[in-house]
Amino acid sequence: MTTPTVLRPSAETQYAEELAALAAADDKPRPPKWKLSPQAVVQYVLGVTLPDGTVITPKYVGDRRLVEVAVSTLVTDRALLLVGVPGTAKSWLSEHLAAAISGDSTLIVQGTAGTSEEAVRYGWNYARLIAEGPSEAALVPSPVLRAMQTGAVARVEELSRMPAEVQDSLITILSEKALPVPELNLQVQAVPGFTLIATANDRDRGVNQMSSALARRFNTVVLPPPATEDAEVEIVSQRAAQLGRALELPSEPPALDEVRRVVRIFRELRNGTTVDGRTQVKKPSGSLSTAEAISVVTSGMALAAHFGDGSLGADELAAGLLGAVIKDRVSDTVAWQEYLEAVVKERREWRDLYRACRELDPA
Amino acid sequence: MARPLPGMPGAGSGLMKPIPDRVTLVGIRHHGPGSARMVRAALDAVRPQLVLVEGPPDADALIEHVGELIPPVALLLHDATDPANAAFWPFARFSPEWQALTWGARHNVDVRFADLPAGVSLSRADDADEVDRVVVDPLGVLAEAAGFDDPERWWEDVVEHSSAEPTQLAAAVAEAMTALREEFADTVDRRTLRREAWMRQVLRKALTEYDGPIVVVCGAWHVPALRELPAAKADADLLKGLPKSKIAGSWVPWSHGRLAATSGYGAGVASPGWYAHLWEYPNDTIPRWMARTSHVLREEGLSASTASAVEAVRLADTLAALRGRPSPGLSEVSEAALAVLCGGDDVGLRIVHEKLVVGEELGAVGDGVPRSPLATNLERWQRKLRLPASAAEKSMRLDLRRDIDRGRSRLLRQLHVLDVRWGEPDETTTLGTFAEAWTVQWDPGLAVAVAAAARHGATVEGAAEHVLLERTKSAETVAAAAEVLREAVACELVSAVTAARAALDRCAAAATDALELLQALPALAGTVRYGSVRGTDPELLRAAMHGLLARGSAGLPLACHGIDDATAEVALSTLDTAHEAVLLAADEEHSAGWWEALHRLVRTDPSAHGLPVGRATRLLWEDDRLDTEAVAIRMQRAVSIASSGTSFVAGFLRGSAVRLAADPRLLGLVDDWLTGLPTEGFEDALPLLRRAISTFSAPERRTLAERVGQGAGAAVLVVDDGDPDRTERLVEFVRGLYERAGV
Repeated sequence: MTTPTVLRPSAETQYAEELAALAAADDKPRPPKWKLSPQAVVQYVLGVTLPDGTVITPKYVGDRRLVEVAVSTLVTDRALLLVGVPGTAKSWLSEHLAAAISGDSTLIVQGTAGTSEEAVRYGWNYARLIAEGPSEAALVPSPVLRAMQTGAVARVEELSRMPAEVQDSLITILSEKALPVPELNLQVQAVPGFTLIATANDRDRGVNQMSSALARRFNTVVLPPPATEDAEVEIVSQRAAQLGRALELPSEPPALDEVRRVVRIFRELRNGTTVDGRTQVKKPSGSLSTAEAISVVTSGMALAAHFGDGSLGADELAAGLLGAVIKDRVSDTVAWQEYLEAVVKERREWRDLYRACRELDPA
Repeated sequence: MARPLPGMPGAGSGLMKPIPDRVTLVGIRHHGPGSARMVRAALDAVRPQLVLVEGPPDADALIEHVGELIPPVALLLHDATDPANAAFWPFARFSPEWQALTWGARHNVDVRFADLPAGVSLSRADDADEVDRVVVDPLGVLAEAAGFDDPERWWEDVVEHSSAEPTQLAAAVAEAMTALREEFADTVDRRTLRREAWMRQVLRKALTEYDGPIVVVCGAWHVPALRELPAAKADADLLKGLPKSKIAGSWVPWSHGRLAATSGYGAGVASPGWYAHLWEYPNDTIPRWMARTSHVLREEGLSASTASAVEAVRLADTLAALRGRPSPGLSEVSEAALAVLCGGDDVGLRIVHEKLVVGEELGAVGDGVPRSPLATNLERWQRKLRLPASAAEKSMRLDLRRDIDRGRSRLLRQLHVLDVRWGEPDETTTLGTFAEAWTVQWDPGLAVAVAAAARHGATVEGAAEHVLLERTKSAETVAAAAEVLREAVACELVSAVTAARAALDRCAAAATDALELLQALPALAGTVRYGSVRGTDPELLRAAMHGLLARGSAGLPLACHGIDDATAEVALSTLDTAHEAVLLAADEEHSAGWWEALHRLVRTDPSAHGLPVGRATRLLWEDDRLDTEAVAIRMQRAVSIASSGTSFVAGFLRGSAVRLAADPRLLGLVDDWLTGLPTEGFEDALPLLRRAISTFSAPERRTLAERVGQGAGAAVLVVDDGDPDRTERLVEFVRGLYERAGV
């Protein structure tokens, strides 16, 4: 069987082998409709080597307890809310949890300011509605409704971006595990296995505060930014290498030193102080998340592959760095210039990076 | 029997003798609720004639008072001659030792302590060369090996849930410990061996005195060392020549917060509130805990519904199952509470930790328990003034016109003198002349301070007076004597006031340094100015203060002469505080004397150190006693002597940012001076000027810069006139200036 080439296969396709191996080795009891036992889900997310030698790669690098709380929440058929600043792997974790539990991470509602109630509940096939009148056949179920009917995990991305009244349409679904359809005078009952993972970030602008009625129906897990530089370097290099493979880049995997440089720059700007704590630096307006560090490294790899000598160096990083740090033309430029002059220039082994950044932006 | 334990005296001599069957060894985990249950069950099963408990035998006489105590309590034992050398043995309700003590009291069975006496352990100074080896928590090691993070949970899961007889359980624990002791033989230090030798000695004695069953309750770690007895002489040899001091002590109330700290039994308990909960509610542990958690959160105004508590219990149970544990532990319930009840926000969790996991429980000690006369007296005052010792921090406002509040203030201050810091006065808020703000919190550790203070007297008042009198005798400086005087007045101790007054006169007479005299002023000024509603004669203080002021004023100009920079800094701050004191409290006549002294300081020739002179100039100028012209002249003159000019300006400017920004005259004055400096003089002036204004805050400096920018004086702008050479030189010069100024 050939897999059709897609840009980014969903988690259950990409890691189908790992999931199959885990399912084969899994002898613990599984909750109804779950493809794996809770313990195996935790192993899938955090990585493990199975008795038969299959290596399950870690998907989430971070506190084991958080993942255990998240999985336990889903076992108790409560909805899970993953909260964190941008780029803390909320959607990433949500996708992998759904893939491991239901084998389907695509029942997804993307929250935006324009998300309507139909996207959360159900819509109508208007041609049918007009031709045949209200009937179940004319009903267009939302991903959430489909998850309720099949006993799967539904995902709501960026919950706090939806208008508050649309958010609140989830309340009945979460507390009653049922969705009334008054037009047809019926009620869709969720089958066992149905649960919901929502993600929300608490930092960005344009966020609609969740009502406390809704918040009460979630168990909340806060995903922190990577605690140490080493952890973050590990995440970035691992993800960048995976993405490089997926994009079929001919370049070498990124050198650890380059990744470390990017991560250090990001952490220093994010925290507003250098690692040695001696120099205070201005914080740029962007969130400078781990996810952005990953994209700086991958775009650097792409540059190196197509226009450079294939190995990632200062010249390739500079362009990406500039784009990631400077989100606001005026204030971020000042912050970046100061950082370049006060920190980058002072580090002797960073001279190449300083030169490359200066060439790009000779302010 | 197995091989003798490594390190035990007599090991290998073939003289080891197993203990008789009538002795039951119960190895416990200190402060472990699981162990406490095991001890109680074992005692009920064995019904011994005597119970030996790990603890200091010096306190045997205090065991009879167990019935009058409400835990948490602690044994406070201290050196009879040096009460500050003290140690505590805390007991909570869930401590196995406490269960053994109360079981004995309930069943009229003798209980004795068996461990190294406090008299020996407190005089261990000579053992300083003996480095304590790393102490292992044996149960912690076993629990870790089994993959548990909390030894108590492991104990619960493995020991508590087993259906074995308590005595068999104790035997199983002993087996495990013997294996551990062999593995960790290196970590057993000499002190532990001595303690165990003493335990065996006590046991030997008990075996001759009692013929019935005996139960020994001791740390599980020591059980292997007690299973067989070497020749008595071997133990006696080990204990020979230990220094021993006379010990006194009593029971004192203890708190859960204190239990969390390090204690006489080694490591403290991180979560006494949780353990107390485990002890109190063996059934429905988790639901009750979640109910209490949501109750605590609701009290803090956070939303935590009963429905959420139900979900939190479910999550905790599921987490425990996921982690392969028989029941949820503290980490599971905390994580569940965080996710469900606190919405992921750890502020709520911190409140729960403080109020529940640690807890605020304070124990009590009955009236019949012997205590020092001072402690009895203190309790009488606490009752009389309705000021109970409470572990929670409390702010109070005392109105000194009311007798009860005045009494409270007096008591707190007298205790302060005794170094019993029960309350801290809040000096920052001014409540006028007749009110005081205090923050009171009774830390059970203060019991040591009370015990240490007991040697000073039998009553709080008497002891405080004794301490103050001692301090007046040893006071060497005027400032120290003045401080004692101030405290004596606040404590309303008349004879101490008189003595302090005499000491002040004595020190003042001996003082040759005017600065020293002036430093004593602030301590007295407040009391003189605002008078005191206390019973002391304010005239007494007023006369003392004026005496000091008059003599200090006279000596001031001389004291600022020929001094180094460090002394000049002292002179500057003394000048400031003394000036404040004068403005606050001095009468007309003595104020005039002070102004006169400042004038003389400014006028002296050859001139005194720049810092105090500069400050005196400004003080005079601020009060319009020196006109601007005169100041300008003085500044120019001071500057003409290059070295002292800068310090003069520093003294003049320091701490005057607001004034400088608001007063165009002052700014103009400084500006004229600066612009008038020759190049070299300017370069010299810059670092000191910068130091003078470095104490200004950032907004102050910004305001100042704006004022200068608006053109307060005749500023000359250097314009790039197109000559690159000159621009280059200019840049170099400015950079040089910056480096010198340390910008």
